[in-house]
Amino acid sequence: MTRIRLTGYADRLSAMPGETVHFMLSAEGTAEADVDLVRIIHGDQHPDGPGFIEELVPGPWSPRIAVRKQFIQLGNFVLVDDPDNRLMLDDSFTLHAFVFPTTLGGRRQVILGRWDQAAGQGAALGIDRQGRLEFWVGDGVTMDAAAADVALLARSWYFVAAAYDRRDGRVTLVQRRIVTPYNGTLGPVAPFKADTTVEQTLRVDRSGVLAGAASRHELDVMAHGDEAPADSVLAAWDTTAGYSPTGVGDTIIDLGPHGLHGRGVNRPVRAMTGWNWDGGIQDFRVRPDQHGGIAFHDDALTDCHWDPTWTIDLPTDLRSGVYAARLRAGDREDHVPFIVRPRTPTARIALLVPTNSYLAYANESIAFDVPVAQVITGHTPILSESDVDFYQNPEYGKSTYDHHTDGEGVCYSSARRPILNFRPRFRSAAIGTTWQFGRDLSIIAWLEAKGHQYDCITDQDLHREGRSLLDPYSVVLTGSHPEYHSERMLDSIEQYVAGGGRLMYLGGNGFYWVVSFADDEPWCMEVRKGEAGTRAWQTRPGEQHHATSGERGGLWRLRGRPPQQLTGVGFTAEGFDMCTYYERMPDSFHRSVAWIMDGVGADERIGDFGLALGGAAGLEVERYDLTLGTPPHTKLLASGFGFSDSYLKAHEDILFNHVGLGGTQDFQVRADMTYFTAPNDGAVFSTGSIAWSSALPANGFDNNVSRVTDNVLRAFERAGPLPGHQFVEDEKLWR
Amino acid sequence: MSSPTTSTLTITQPTEQRLVGRRRLIPRWRVRPDGVVHRRRWPLTKKRIIHLDGRFNPKSLRREMVVSDKRPMWWVIALGVIAIGPTTLGNGRLLAVGTTFLIYSAINLMWILVVGTAGILSLASLAVVGAAAYTSAWLSISHGFPWPLMLVVGGGVGLVFGAIIAIPARRMDGMYYALLTLGLVELCRVYVIQSKTFGSATGGLYGADSFVPAAMRSTLAGFRVGYVAAFVLLLAALAVYRAVNGERLGMVLRVAREEEAVAESMGIGYESARLAVFLISSAGLGVIGGFYAAYNTGASPNLFTIDRLLLLFAMIVIGGSGRAEGAVLGTLIVTLINDWFVGWGPKRVVIIGVLMLLVTLFARAGLFGIRQQFIEFRQKKSSERRADRVQRKGIVVAEEAIDIQDKQDIAYRAFDRAQRDHLKNLITPQLVEEHRAKPMGQHSDDLERVLNYFRRTPIADKYAVYTVVPFAAYRIVSMSGVPGVPPRIVDDRVHASIDEALHAVFVRRVDDLMGS
Repeated sequence: MTRIRLTGYADRLSAMPGETVHFMLSAEGTAEADVDLVRIIHGDQHPDGPGFIEELVPGPWSPRIAVRKQFIQLGNFVLVDDPDNRLMLDDSFTLHAFVFPTTLGGRRQVILGRWDQAAGQGAALGIDRQGRLEFWVGDGVTMDAAAADVALLARSWYFVAAAYDRRDGRVTLVQRRIVTPYNGTLGPVAPFKADTTVEQTLRVDRSGVLAGAASRHELDVMAHGDEAPADSVLAAWDTTAGYSPTGVGDTIIDLGPHGLHGRGVNRPVRAMTGWNWDGGIQDFRVRPDQHGGIAFHDDALTDCHWDPTWTIDLPTDLRSGVYAARLRAGDREDHVPFIVRPRTPTARIALLVPTNSYLAYANESIAFDVPVAQVITGHTPILSESDVDFYQNPEYGKSTYDHHTDGEGVCYSSARRPILNFRPRFRSAAIGTTWQFGRDLSIIAWLEAKGHQYDCITDQDLHREGRSLLDPYSVVLTGSHPEYHSERMLDSIEQYVAGGGRLMYLGGNGFYWVVSFADDEPWCMEVRKGEAGTRAWQTRPGEQHHATSGERGGLWRLRGRPPQQLTGVGFTAEGFDMCTYYERMPDSFHRSVAWIMDGVGADERIGDFGLALGGAAGLEVERYDLTLGTPPHTKLLASGFGFSDSYLKAHEDILFNHVGLGGTQDFQVRADMTYFTAPNDGAVFSTGSIAWSSALPANGFDNNVSRVTDNVLRAFERAGPLPGHQFVEDEKLWR
Repeated sequence: MSSPTTSTLTITQPTEQRLVGRRRLIPRWRVRPDGVVHRRRWPLTKKRIIHLDGRFNPKSLRREMVVSDKRPMWWVIALGVIAIGPTTLGNGRLLAVGTTFLIYSAINLMWILVVGTAGILSLASLAVVGAAAYTSAWLSISHGFPWPLMLVVGGGVGLVFGAIIAIPARRMDGMYYALLTLGLVELCRVYVIQSKTFGSATGGLYGADSFVPAAMRSTLAGFRVGYVAAFVLLLAALAVYRAVNGERLGMVLRVAREEEAVAESMGIGYESARLAVFLISSAGLGVIGGFYAAYNTGASPNLFTIDRLLLLFAMIVIGGSGRAEGAVLGTLIVTLINDWFVGWGPKRVVIIGVLMLLVTLFARAGLFGIRQQFIEFRQKKSSERRADRVQRKGIVVAEEAIDIQDKQDIAYRAFDRAQRDHLKNLITPQLVEEHRAKPMGQHSDDLERVLNYFRRTPIADKYAVYTVVPFAAYRIVSMSGVPGVPPRIVDDRVHASIDEALHAVFVRRVDDLMGS
């Protein structure tokens, strides 16, 4: 029996009742699938919790649809539309480019050309299987090629050109290495003499009449960055053109006479340093002329471009929540989730679903690819069938935690592709618990169990609409790991709190990385991991600025906005081999906040249970730190101590490395629960731990984590002054 | 006993390091990076005249030119010696034997197109040569054809013959086809012995025209003319061989030889390619037959004898049927033994037989395959020696280091070995029990050290847990370390909980450590 594969994605992460949602599905081994709309309430199948819970949503749609295999164009490239056939290349011509090859050998690569592989027709300049510059030409009957005599060096800039004279079939291949102290892996002292010029006669049947082949001298001049003789230019794609203070788009501008602009497919990575980068200016906004680099990767994917397979109109009375298209065929089942936000607010509570973070981790394969993964997480990975299947067929693109095949980090992640770890039952292989979405569903299930009225909104909505999205709510809950934020989102949340809004930060390692979106592709997120932070990769020098916004990427902390400013706590350590509980700290006995601990004993352990390694404090934890901007009146309500040495103090806190940065030796490796008030009756409650929300469902939602969360939520939901607001003085000590 | 965790690692480097590295004896072609490499090709083909390729010397990073295929050079030298040697020495017998060698070389070159390139065991080569020789001799004697026309006639006869023998080749192969063509040779022989027209009475046909003027025959000058003509014949045969074997036709034939189905699925029409090679080869053999008749002023039934056929067979067996230089060298050796050292008498045949046997037993692809075979043998031996040293010392020696591009690997291996030796001392039943009781979370310092080592190893062959049923059934797998290659299941045990599976992984790792 053929194995059935069935998956897909929705055309949007966030939809409103009454909207039309398209599901792009692909199937193998079956021509039909059962489809249903379900509301998802809980995902984590850990035996200590309620297990997987979904609710069927009846609708007028057909329950059985035809499905088929849909294909994906992997890899990014630039496509030039040439309706008038200006670049037919029938006559003599010269192709030239500045290139920085990263992966040499193995497969033939095209630098630029107009080549029909199936027909064997056209011409192209590329790199052959031995890593040598190669020019090839064919007329549909015969083809011929000439390669340079010496291979290119990886990670080094070159000017390369092929001047082809069709009259006598002679091609001149020119390869000039451009080495500066800044622009490659090897500096000027490594004694490579890598320049070469090769002349060879090619044999193809057709011959042209015009001479457009540049002379060697002309090419040598161009190798120094000077322009080609203007009257001979057919097209000149200037990759340094088109930059603005807010970034650069996907169009590669042709300064030539015909204006044959190129269009990026799967987002070629722009805003990279060019051959002429002199190391002086790191920011492309200051020296765009030195940032003409574009990185191409054979495994990049920002849009599957699948055809819609199932289209439904959401019922107008659909309540806000987490929904999914449930696909079933044979013994296979998949859920394609999306969030339904209300047309107008229907509650005083909003859950801000951290879809940016889902994108950042989309399809990560750390457990398979990172040799130190097991020592980072402190245990052996626990793989699922879906992990192995995806590893074998890695066609759905990568996460910002992965690397492209040439070793460069992945900086774009898109929602327009199946995201196999954005699934309710997903458990992270590397970590062994749920991750992101599955854990956030524990908050949903808890809200349901406690009977709270709530709306769901997403990062995408907040980025688009700003503060006005939050203002109608008296309290906004975060997910378990809201790690990725755009500037507009941070501003909105901050202004919302400053304006009297209340934030319940139910997670850890949040508000950490800078992200941005291109306005024309809001489903595609850009992340550039910089020189500090717990990061899977690091941008090369001069490439830390986002192409889609112009801003400097990396940690918000290094942009001057540590998370402590907003939430009172900030990332301090992570570990995945154990979780622990909180102990009440003396501040929790202050009358201004004692209401938070209603029903919790003075020396009661808070959260010594849970679906995440048996504790509410752990995985990624945060600390109160005045030096990083924790408001001085913040109350330290409780702390989780006693972490293992697998929990190491965060990289960005370390100046000199020293022994003893693990949980058994460093006092800053802890999870802090904090509370502070903001102007206009605003307030922020933070749990400082990712594992917190996984403890909510324990014991049928009846536990002290649930109790504390409920105390805060019920107080925050109520309008007017907060409980305890009147206790602004300390105790008088008479004795 | 002091706790082993307090000691630092000691890495012992081997003391018996030998000096490695050598001078370059033959200077390499240095490259001026600003110069132009003109890459020239043989007329009408895409083949380069000389295979000069650039590289960076891995020891000095100096740019050098390397002749990646030296065969054209050797060919020029060898052909030069063949052309100049016998003609200047002035020995009539040498020229006569040399001419035989050249003609047989040409025959063999045509023959191995069918036997080697196409991989069809046809023994009809001498039948074609003989038939062409007889026909052209007869036409010359009876109709006064001049010698150039004899070559043309020979070619024509060969073409017809080629078409005839190509037909059964579509239906038969291997031994059956060889027997059929052998029968054809015998048929020709019996026919000419019994045919009056072809001189059954005189033991051959004589009196045909020749390119050696009548006055010169049996003089040194005459032998010289014959030799030079035969040399030209060899050059022509080489050109034909190269044109077929080195171009598309040869590629198609070789693919079809290995796997007909593959050729078919690639859209390669190998049937027509085989017909073409039969026609080309037979036409070539026919021209050689005409040449033979013109050189000998006639033809004799000796051409069709089985012993002559076997002699030719010996030549290509000894030289190897896969390449031109093999066919020529094999011909040279056998001709030398058979025709030059006539004085050795019947021992010659035994010597040739023994040579054939040796080559068949020990060389995979004839004499010219020996070099590659030797290189492989040497590589095998050196890796065996290396493995031997690794087992004894576990540490990289200088001879091995030259092959390791990233020298950090050497440091890693040395460190890793010391680390493992150190960690072995920490493994105790108590330690294993500590892990069993609590596989995750903080452990004793010793156990943490051991675990950190296990967790840091490279991905390839690293263990992981595979979920069969969440929270109910787990198995142990081992990672491939190769993108796209799934982990493999290491045993058939199923573990009921994650903790149990994690401990099973630990026990395996401890076993691997202690066993190393």
